[in-house]
Amino acid sequence: PTGKWTNKERVLIFSSRGINFRTRHLMQDLRTMMPHAKADTKMDRKDKLFVINEVCEIKNCNKCLYFEAKKKQDLYMWISNSPHGPSAKFLVQNIHTLAELKLTGNCLKGSRPLLSFDPKFDKEPHYALLKELFIQTFSTPRYHPKSQPFVDHVFTFTIADNRIWFRNYQIIEEDGSLVEIGPRFVLNLMKIFQGSFGGPTLYENPDFRSPNMHRREMRLAAAAKVREKQMVKEMQKGKKTSAKEDLESDVTADVFLTPAEEKPADIQTEAPEPKVVKKKQKAFKRQRMQMLSLHRNQYST
Amino acid sequence: SLQEAFAAGLLKPGMNVLVDKPKKLVNNVEGLKQCLADFRKDLPWVERLDLTNLPAANIISQAEEKASAPAAGELDADDDFQREMFFYRQAQATILEAMPLLNRHSIATKRPEDYFAEMAKSDQHMQKIRKKLISKQMIMERSEKAKKLREQRKFGKKVQIEVIQKRQQEKKAMMSAVKKYQKGMTDKLEFLEGDQKMNKESSQGSKKAVNKKGPSAKRKYKDQKFGFGGKKSGKKWNTKESYNDVSGFRAKIAHGKGGKKGKGGKQNKRPGKSVRKKMKNRS
Repeated sequence: PTGKWTNKERVLIFSSRGINFRTRHLMQDLRTMMPHAKADTKMDRKDKLFVINEVCEIKNCNKCLYFEAKKKQDLYMWISNSPHGPSAKFLVQNIHTLAELKLTGNCLKGSRPLLSFDPKFDKEPHYALLKELFIQTFSTPRYHPKSQPFVDHVFTFTIADNRIWFRNYQIIEEDGSLVEIGPRFVLNLMKIFQGSFGGPTLYENPDFRSPNMHRREMRLAAAAKVREKQMVKEMQKGKKTSAKEDLESDVTADVFLTPAEEKPADIQTEAPEPKVVKKKQKAFKRQRMQMLSLHRNQYST
Repeated sequence: SLQEAFAAGLLKPGMNVLVDKPKKLVNNVEGLKQCLADFRKDLPWVERLDLTNLPAANIISQAEEKASAPAAGELDADDDFQREMFFYRQAQATILEAMPLLNRHSIATKRPEDYFAEMAKSDQHMQKIRKKLISKQMIMERSEKAKKLREQRKFGKKVQIEVIQKRQQEKKAMMSAVKKYQKGMTDKLEFLEGDQKMNKESSQGSKKAVNKKGPSAKRKYKDQKFGFGGKKSGKKWNTKESYNDVSGFRAKIAHGKGGKKGKGGKQNKRPGKSVRKKMKNRS
């Protein structure tokens, strides 16, 4: 049953130069999942981001997902409501694309997704704003010409460890058995701006550490460890080679001295008398034995 | 600047650590709320299809009565399995809640059988996935089989050793019983019967065809002479003794004087034509 397509949402998904294969595949996967998305060529100027608004206008899009790759290592994602609306910048991590063989689910191309949010999204104002942005961006409008009328997969957005985790599951049975389709990624919020790619900052994430700082910290920690080890080694060396003090008086020398009582000094002038030793007259062994047997016989009879 | 401050009496003597001024982070709650109010679109649910819910109950942990710590606030992002299960259950809860809503708005969730449309992943890709899963299963099965075989072999070896030992013990007992009888210590011959009784019972139990004498003498001789698996170690070669042994020599046969097996041949030999004629004429 066709109806009129009234919710005119169009999302522009594109990137800057210097992205790697994983990012490119992620972009393609998002375009596959969202039939209301449009593609554009790479943008080569990263500093003047407000031109993106003009690109969006040309393409007649009112939302934008812009992937910015820095240093060929870090990937940032901008999500914005194009002419006036708010925008947010995230650091993207842990990307897994549709092509991974461990993600075994499949869905119709262009089918409408269910969106599932963590209750934590309603607890903070900045999360509430992000939730609205996500809903408007990711939900496929009803009766969109490229969409399929069935609902057979679900996007989940969950907040854990101060990051937003995105998963995409295929609905197999209506009792709730699911298989993951992909893609999957983790968004680390940096800032929310009032305008699109500019404007006053509405929110800054206090727990965010830029990847550069993170890498720097790791390197400093490693360097500190090495330096500590070296210091310890040097100290030990120094101890070994340094001249030891010669103690003149041993402080502990008289710890065990117990003063004895004074004895009168006896000076013997005469030699002592020889001791009288009584010498026993012992008979020879044989004689002794004879005597013993005699003795015994006397008593036994 | 430190010295000036010290002079002014602000700093106390001792170690003064330079502390960073805590960064003032923007959290413009009012601004956020205002922005949200401006920006939000009040679309009917059918357009958005969003739901917010906690994960569905964890059946496994309930069954095991584990103290499942994760309420939503305590989800440990590093415990991979727990985390993924959390996401899974969140999605499940969404579906369970959404099904009745979708039915009410008559939005289908099941595809009819003959509805062919392009899928997000190509058929080729799905085949690759299937092949990978099957190969994983095969590897597991193979390793299971190998393990079982190993176990069986060990067990079989044990059993074999036990059987051999038992046989040896029996033989020993038998021999000692026989000797006792021979020496006249016991005049009962029960040990023989006992053995036979046991043997009969065991042979009835076992299915082996008991051929007491084994292969016949003829077979044994042939094996010895021609067989490849019989007595080895030079038994088919000549030795000095066998070479000098001329007992098998029959001069007549050797020199061809035996004729047809000596004199034995045909006892009833038919007379020749002339002799038969004579006989015929006579009779």
